[in-house]
Amino acid sequence: MSVAGTRRVAITGCGTVNAAFVGGVPELSTYLEHPESRVRAEPSTEPGLVASVDDRALDGLTDAGDQRRVSRISRFAIAAARLALADADAPPEDLSLVVGTELGDLRSTKEFANGFLERGPTGLSALLFPNTVMNTMAAATAIAVQARAATLTLNAPVVAGELAIARAAAGIAAGRFELALAGGVDQIEPITELAAGGEARGEGATFLVLEPLEKARQRGARVFGEITGWGWRALNAPPCGVGRAEPPRAALLALERAGLAGDAVRWVYDSATLDRERDDWERALLDVAFPHHPRRVSLGRWLGRHGGLGALSVAGAAWSACAGRLPALGGAMSADRGVGLVHGVARGGTHVALVVGAPLP
Amino acid sequence: MEPKETVDELKSILVTRLKFEPRRAAEITLDTPLPKGVEGSIGLDSLDFIELSLAIEERFGVVLDESQDLVKHFATIDSLSRFIAAQAGGS
Amino acid sequence: MIRTVVTGLGVTSPFGAGTKAFWTGVAGGTCAIRPITLLDTDGFRCRIAAEVPADALAGSPRRSRADRLALAAAREAIADSGLARADCRDAGLVIGAVGGGMFEAEKWYWARTRGGAPVDAASSLRAVLPFSHAETLGKALSLGGPRETVVAACSSGAVSLALARDLIEDGLATVVVAGGADSVTRICYMGFNALRLLDPEPCRPFDRERRGMSIGEGAAFLVLEDAEHARARGAYVYAELSGYGITTDAFHPTSPHPEGDGMVRAMRGALSDAGIGPAEVGYVNAHGTGTPQNDRVEARAIARVFETGEPLVSATKSMIGHTMAAAGSLETVATILAIVEGVVPPTANLCAADPDVTFDCVPGTARTAAIDCAISNSFGFGGQNVTLVFRRS
Repeated sequence: MSVAGTRRVAITGCGTVNAAFVGGVPELSTYLEHPESRVRAEPSTEPGLVASVDDRALDGLTDAGDQRRVSRISRFAIAAARLALADADAPPEDLSLVVGTELGDLRSTKEFANGFLERGPTGLSALLFPNTVMNTMAAATAIAVQARAATLTLNAPVVAGELAIARAAAGIAAGRFELALAGGVDQIEPITELAAGGEARGEGATFLVLEPLEKARQRGARVFGEITGWGWRALNAPPCGVGRAEPPRAALLALERAGLAGDAVRWVYDSATLDRERDDWERALLDVAFPHHPRRVSLGRWLGRHGGLGALSVAGAAWSACAGRLPALGGAMSADRGVGLVHGVARGGTHVALVVGAPLP
Repeated sequence: MEPKETVDELKSILVTRLKFEPRRAAEITLDTPLPKGVEGSIGLDSLDFIELSLAIEERFGVVLDESQDLVKHFATIDSLSRFIAAQAGGS
Repeated sequence: MIRTVVTGLGVTSPFGAGTKAFWTGVAGGTCAIRPITLLDTDGFRCRIAAEVPADALAGSPRRSRADRLALAAAREAIADSGLARADCRDAGLVIGAVGGGMFEAEKWYWARTRGGAPVDAASSLRAVLPFSHAETLGKALSLGGPRETVVAACSSGAVSLALARDLIEDGLATVVVAGGADSVTRICYMGFNALRLLDPEPCRPFDRERRGMSIGEGAAFLVLEDAEHARARGAYVYAELSGYGITTDAFHPTSPHPEGDGMVRAMRGALSDAGIGPAEVGYVNAHGTGTPQNDRVEARAIARVFETGEPLVSATKSMIGHTMAAAGSLETVATILAIVEGVVPPTANLCAADPDVTFDCVPGTARTAAIDCAISNSFGFGGQNVTLVFRRS
């Protein structure tokens, strides 16, 4: 059900490049049936736990025209965007793009700075400079898929991808967007001084195709899921710190929008990433709102924290709603019929939640 | 600098600064057109030419004056290396 | 239907602290672009910028420069709006940012790479990412509503206002503090220098002899509010944000679409969203960076959209330079005050207008004019186009 005067939000496609697999809904379903963790220690190249994308996975997903000037992180985004549009079989008319990212193209920024530090003013690269602004991945993707409506890049710790989906869903519902690619991207960048609490860092990109449910049905699209509620707030927490156990307002807002009570939530795709202190805080928040302890899925523990995770979690929740299964190491389990919550909270308090279900008539 | 060295330096710039694959750069001849829109060209656009100018300044010490019309010098590797030689010789 | 109005303004600009100093400067046609002090520009063709005076920064010197610019402006905006603390608890915060705390991070990275006096990594890097402004301001001002940071290159400040309006119109927030902030950074300065886009002299938007941009820095925040809520609490209303258009050229990483296709769509989309025609617009605050390319394409786009009607057009960047993520919100303040004060700020440094300029670009001296409706353009690097429409309330 939807709020009067707004449109229902259908998920009609998914495209992803991550440490475990590449592809659309079929590949996602295969992975979620038998998920594997790609998180490991690679002490020779990176400090801490990481889940890296094998660059060979990009072969064939980006063409020669993309290769030369487009940086690696942008190639993730382009590949995932193309996969998503193909998966949705959606003609890219009136296409908006909402991209969440935590670190952006820091690698290019460092390379640009190094050019100057090592060789002076003539060591600066004009080709690299545009990549030093965080919307470069969105700009490159917009060119690649010809997204000419609104393009937004949202920057947030941990939950940038969830935030992008929430923004896009609100845009579709309110009639601001007709067709949206929404999701996020990140690349592992070893700035140890920035590492917070021991989280596993991942990389890759995931985009969902969102459109009004009515339009999707009219064009005969395969509707993969429906987003019925969204909310985002800021909980009280010091910068880089965690807060206390309190009602998770974003989740309550999302449920209110979906017209559901807390006990309708049968499972939660959360934002756990092995940052113990932050993970504990999230668990405490969820316990306040959901005393019936719905089962929790943490894709971040298997694929590492990165901007693409939010969209992947929403796709996962949609799969669970339709298939009635929850991914688990060792093989998926059956799940109660119902709706799922996608939940994310970051150190510093940024808080997002989405209600995802199978599309009802 | 000998003309052949200049050409080799320019090809090396195409790889290190303009991110061409080494194999692709090796295939480029003296007469391969550089600018986008010309048949058979390697497709350089305005952004690439700025990068090329910076690299030429760094490698050859030749400062390119934008107030001049430089388009004809950037037509091929051959025209570019002649231009560089003329600038370097004149200074 | 929910309407969004502006009830508070706060500015930190190259003219100093406060909206008043900013308006006095731009209405007076004063150019604030001077020799740069914050960076070493040895070997660069351009050595000027519009810097914010040191005494205009708020908060502890341990904070990043960009945070301090933002904090000063946001505090002024909230105080100006007369909002009670209780209203702030659920107020949203949407920030447009690009550089974040890069200025401090650069100092650390430079020291680490070149040697020299060591700089503490943790304090330098904590605020490097753009979202750090939202964390700092959200905590300092106790704003607990929706919180977002948007990065849209030179359009960030304008996009933040559009996103804030969405929150209010969707009923997700009643009050939103929104705007952009950016400080001078080496990377930005060197980058535009490398792209040959900077004028060694103060920029000359729309001038036939223009040669490029000038870099600036600053912050501007607005309090946006549900009109009904503002009316109920007797708030002073500056203007209504009655529409916006956001489009993407999807053409090239640094050059605009040569026909200004995205710019035209953004302006037309904004007018359509506001439910008005071009003849009703009295003033266009242009993106007007002073680069040969932007100004030519923007001038033609404005001429196309305003075939009917003859709005006054001026470029605030002629006085404060290009303030990056702050530009969209700083220039919005100028646009709103033009409506409120009945004075259109000029385009400074203009000697002879380019032949592509078919409109009156208010050269040198401000123009007294009754403006009921004005638009502000931000046409970001590589084709991120935003137009905002403001109406007298």
